[in-house]
Amino acid sequence: MTTVIDGRELQPPEPMERTLEALDKLAEGDDVLLLLYCQPHPLFNILRNSGYAWSEEIQPDGTREIRIRRAPG
Amino acid sequence: MHASLSFDQAPPISVPYRFFIAAPWFGVMAGLLLALSGDAALASRWTPEALALTHLVGVGFMLQAMCGALFQFIPVAVGGNVWSPKLVANTVQPMLLLATLLLVAGLLFSRPVLLSFAVPLFLLSLGGFVVVVALALWQTPATGMTLWSMRMAIGALAVTVLLGSLLAEALAHGLALPIIDLTNVHLAWGLGAWALMLLAGVSYHVVPMFQLTRPYPLWFTHWFGPVLLLLVIAWSSRLLLDEAWWTLAIALPLLTILSVYAGMTLWLQYTRRRKVHDATSIYFRVAMLAMLAFAVSGAVFLSYPEFGNDPRATVWLGVLAFAGVFVSAITGMMYKIAPFLNWLHLQRLGAPMNAVPNMKKMIPAEAMTGQLRLHVLAVLLLLAAVWQPGLARLAGIAFAASCAWLGWNLIGAARRYRSFRDQIREVVLRC
Repeated sequence: MTTVIDGRELQPPEPMERTLEALDKLAEGDDVLLLLYCQPHPLFNILRNSGYAWSEEIQPDGTREIRIRRAPG
Repeated sequence: MHASLSFDQAPPISVPYRFFIAAPWFGVMAGLLLALSGDAALASRWTPEALALTHLVGVGFMLQAMCGALFQFIPVAVGGNVWSPKLVANTVQPMLLLATLLLVAGLLFSRPVLLSFAVPLFLLSLGGFVVVVALALWQTPATGMTLWSMRMAIGALAVTVLLGSLLAEALAHGLALPIIDLTNVHLAWGLGAWALMLLAGVSYHVVPMFQLTRPYPLWFTHWFGPVLLLLVIAWSSRLLLDEAWWTLAIALPLLTILSVYAGMTLWLQYTRRRKVHDATSIYFRVAMLAMLAFAVSGAVFLSYPEFGNDPRATVWLGVLAFAGVFVSAITGMMYKIAPFLNWLHLQRLGAPMNAVPNMKKMIPAEAMTGQLRLHVLAVLLLLAAVWQPGLARLAGIAFAASCAWLGWNLIGAARRYRSFRDQIREVVLRC
């Protein structure tokens, strides 16, 4: 199951708070899809240090789709 | 999950804060200097008072705040690592503070020896800062135009400092250099290729993030910075080719791209789906309106030399650029960065997320809005004082008061951080 968090109309740090809450409840095989207009480097640091992997895709309207799941192994 | 939150790339909170807390007090000094000097200060850009005012705001206020913001912004926005930020900040800032005071005193009291003392301090402090920041900006794996704008801006800071040092030495030792032309080139690199380039690059990231707008169009972000840099380089060629048609051929495109950036930012604010009317949004709106006013005034002064040749025309442009554009935009940014810093660093303490106070509690909204209103009044009075010199003292007092209020708000944010930190530590110890 994918949990979608649209952070494009939320002021920081709300997108990060919601993402971390969603990751706390993440079941095996599920992922979180975060939509933003910028690259959230502080969140990336947290993910890197907490055993998560992510991929990023930019849409034509400038939206960054950041898909987060548990890192394999 | 939460206990393992790590912000290993973020510098200690004291690093950006020490620059932010120092910056407004240079604005206070500028306001007090104007209040003491009165109308003579704004008679032309070349009076000792005007030169001192320019550097109190440009180096004292703007550069302090921008250095502090870069320390924080590089890890957060472009994922870069600044080498030993605490050591660099502890070394650079005292030298920069002393150099600024020496420069301002040297210009104000026409004491060449003070300028000679200031130059090596500037070269050492800003040279070190440029090297450390440039390394961080070139080593980060991130991509995008925010990063490229920051790279161009840091290079431009180096050019600005070298030109400024050359000018100071020329004044101190009476070197035979084209002082006026060199000053114009120094100003173009400082305000255009350094300050505006950095402001634009940072805008690409923070305007959508904090003001909830759509992103800047890709065509705009790809072209604005490189075109701005090319135009500043072309402007520098006026040292060799000082023809009226060449000046016009560079100045008009320059004013056009300023208008496009300002218009684009206002349009993004106007068309956002969720309207946020906080101090930062309004400060940015003020800055962009001042930039549009600068562009229109500049075009009028170029087209009608009878207005442009008045020494007060350049002072008018200076007030719009320094107080209207940059002090406004930088203050708006600090009102977001300081609360965000507090939140970010309180998270590191390992308390449950709901124990960390909301960002809105870090600086009271009424304090920011009140200071914003006073700043707008100060800018309007400064603009009026250019043509109505009797208002200069009042404008100076208003500007000093608004900067002091800003300084007080930032000190309040730092105090609140300490108080929340102590509360959270107690909670964590009890668990």
